[in-house]
Amino acid sequence: MLSRSAERLYWLARYIERTENIARLVSVHMNLLMDLPVGVEMGWQQLVRINAAELEFYAKYQSANERNVTHFLLTDNSYMGSLFSSLSAARENIRTSRDLLPDEAWEQVNEMYLFVKNNIESIHNRSNRAVLLKEILKGCQRFTGLLSGYMSHNNPYRFIRLGKNIERADMTSRILDLASLLLAESRSEDMRQYETILWVNILKSLNAQLMYRQHVRSSVNGDDVLNFLLQNTDLPRSIGCCLVNIAACINSLPNSDGLPAELVKLEAHVQAIETKGTTQVQLRSILDDLQNKLGELHNKIADNWFLRSSAE
Amino acid sequence: MKSIWENYNTEIAYDELMCSEFQPRQISYRLCQYLNSLNKEDIDRRKVAAELAILEMGISFTVYSDEGNIDRAWPFDIIPRIISTKEWRAVEKGLKQRLTALNCFIADVYDQQEFIKAGKMPAEIIASSKNFRKECIGIKPRHNVWANICGTDLVRDKDGVMYVLEDNLRVPSGVSYMLENRVITKRVFPELFQGLDILPIDDYPSQLQAMLSSLAPESIAKPTIVVLTPGIYNSAYFEHAFLAQQMGAQLVEGSDLVVNDDDCVYMRTIEGLEKVDVIYRRIDDDFLDPEVFRKDSTLGVPGLMRAWKAGNVSLANAPGAGVADDKVVYAYVPEMIRYYLNEEPILPNVKTFLCGDPEHLEYVLAHLAELVVKPANESGGYGMLVGPHATTKEVAEFRVIIQKNPRNYIAQPTLSISTAPTLCKGVLEPRHIDLRPFILQGKSTFVTAGGLTRVALKKGSLVVNSSQGGGSKDTWVINMEHD
Repeated sequence: MLSRSAERLYWLARYIERTENIARLVSVHMNLLMDLPVGVEMGWQQLVRINAAELEFYAKYQSANERNVTHFLLTDNSYMGSLFSSLSAARENIRTSRDLLPDEAWEQVNEMYLFVKNNIESIHNRSNRAVLLKEILKGCQRFTGLLSGYMSHNNPYRFIRLGKNIERADMTSRILDLASLLLAESRSEDMRQYETILWVNILKSLNAQLMYRQHVRSSVNGDDVLNFLLQNTDLPRSIGCCLVNIAACINSLPNSDGLPAELVKLEAHVQAIETKGTTQVQLRSILDDLQNKLGELHNKIADNWFLRSSAE
Repeated sequence: MKSIWENYNTEIAYDELMCSEFQPRQISYRLCQYLNSLNKEDIDRRKVAAELAILEMGISFTVYSDEGNIDRAWPFDIIPRIISTKEWRAVEKGLKQRLTALNCFIADVYDQQEFIKAGKMPAEIIASSKNFRKECIGIKPRHNVWANICGTDLVRDKDGVMYVLEDNLRVPSGVSYMLENRVITKRVFPELFQGLDILPIDDYPSQLQAMLSSLAPESIAKPTIVVLTPGIYNSAYFEHAFLAQQMGAQLVEGSDLVVNDDDCVYMRTIEGLEKVDVIYRRIDDDFLDPEVFRKDSTLGVPGLMRAWKAGNVSLANAPGAGVADDKVVYAYVPEMIRYYLNEEPILPNVKTFLCGDPEHLEYVLAHLAELVVKPANESGGYGMLVGPHATTKEVAEFRVIIQKNPRNYIAQPTLSISTAPTLCKGVLEPRHIDLRPFILQGKSTFVTAGGLTRVALKKGSLVVNSSQGGGSKDTWVINMEHD
């Protein structure tokens, strides 16, 4: 397998995962805001914060209202992290990797891209937006499903899985950042009143509500949610599970050098995190640290397998 | 209700499907009967379905323009073009004969040049050919075949005869569109495939794969085959990716390959360097190896010619094969067939005047307004003069251009190339078409059943190239013998 192809498939998977994550995040948030009183800290600005895009956002828009934030996150093609930008980048990566993937994979991504492109103006309307997001979520699931069912689980597939899980772990850590708001000592009375709804919302953003109920079998509370989303190794979007999947890919790929050992260390690090009675400050620093470690992991993967123009 | 055939004009040229406004030819009888059973809305719906399929399948080509490179959807006409198997058998034989002779000629040019010594062709034609590569002299590619993939353009004149217009022996493109056109037609008119015996075409990728494998040294059981593309900005990138995917070969760019001190070609993989045995290259000779050809080329692979000459890698088509893809050399193909194969040509050439010949030049200059003048080495329909369609000013300008460099121009009578019914704004109108079959030659020779039919979508236009407003149709070779 060409190094260039490995890199393209890895990024293809990251962009598709990002597309799906943004779609789910916006869709869950829309539902949440219908339940909350106006003025709670959980407004639209939180979505900009999750994506670490405050600077870029406020350079273009005055206020973080529904119209501006959804435009920015979904269709703004000058913002690299928007759904449309991610989908376009995924399409470009798959267009140049068609020799490795089943035809249907390309058609699926191309269809989604055309769908968003043709409906870009309709998203300002809530119900149109809901339809579009639902289509995107379905499309991303179809893409994942057809690769899993149509493609050999070979090295190209491993790079796709690798990219998907790194992106996933990164997004989970960002969504947990939202949780740090719930742990703030200074949070308002309103916020305390809606706490359970907000924790449920975090679970929903990661498709984890049902699995949480089955696994934890108690009412939704902060400590348990944090523990479940950080350390559970069965839930696809928990960081612990992403790391298990990443390790499985890395261990099966050729020339993995020191990476398996790194992964063992990282997994142990995550499992050792104390999730009981965590304060806002502690959680922030845990998540910052995790995001940095995922960044380093990405760099090592790139150094190990991707095309370096100068390397001979 | 208005018929889609209203005022269909069969007087413009030979029409492939219709004898007259109301009378289909025997081969198209079933198709016309079926089309007549549909109403206008049905037909429109199918046209829309085809356009949607093209978008979703992402069948595109890239157009270069000042505003950047634009990926355009492939223009497609849903009405197929039909040829009978009886006619096709003869054409197929003619195409095999032609490519065999052309390959004998190329091998001879880079060896003893017996053809020239025998007085069949003036030596200056080769000496002055832009595509003659002196670096190739003395080399014997596998099976001594130089042009492994050939796209030959055929047109039918008003006399009903198919003529060879040109042989594309460098990096002919279009075969992926031929295959995709069939996929779309099957989706759009599935009913027609039930009642008709249409020859299948989808074995092309397997045939290509087998031919490329036959180019590797015999000792290698499963050769590593790659498709070398200039990259995503090339107009035929879609095709490069498509063929690689269909063959299960790697699609590579120049920077993925490296030639080591052992003169072998390797690709950079996640497992380190892996040896490459056969390269289906879609890059012109000029850009193939900056050590030998254009120094500024970043698309190619330094050292590739070294590896090829050492016999460590096969290149298809072989470098230098383009020497026979020259419209002056074209004029000598019938003579090549007689000389090398001792046979009479099955497919006729179009009468060709060589401006490098003083007598021919005199005739051409006196009859410019009636002739088509083409540069010897261009492709894509660029830089040519269609006399009857040109203004007096254009004719005068071309006169000067030809006289500056007569060797580089040829002229042919303006053919009345055949038409076929094409859907234009809901009704069928005759549009001019050509045909590009693809011929593969390695250990054995293979011809596609039919080929890519290109259609000039603009009324009256004779230019079928996609870069200049051309489209395409599915091509059916129909077996009538069971009827």
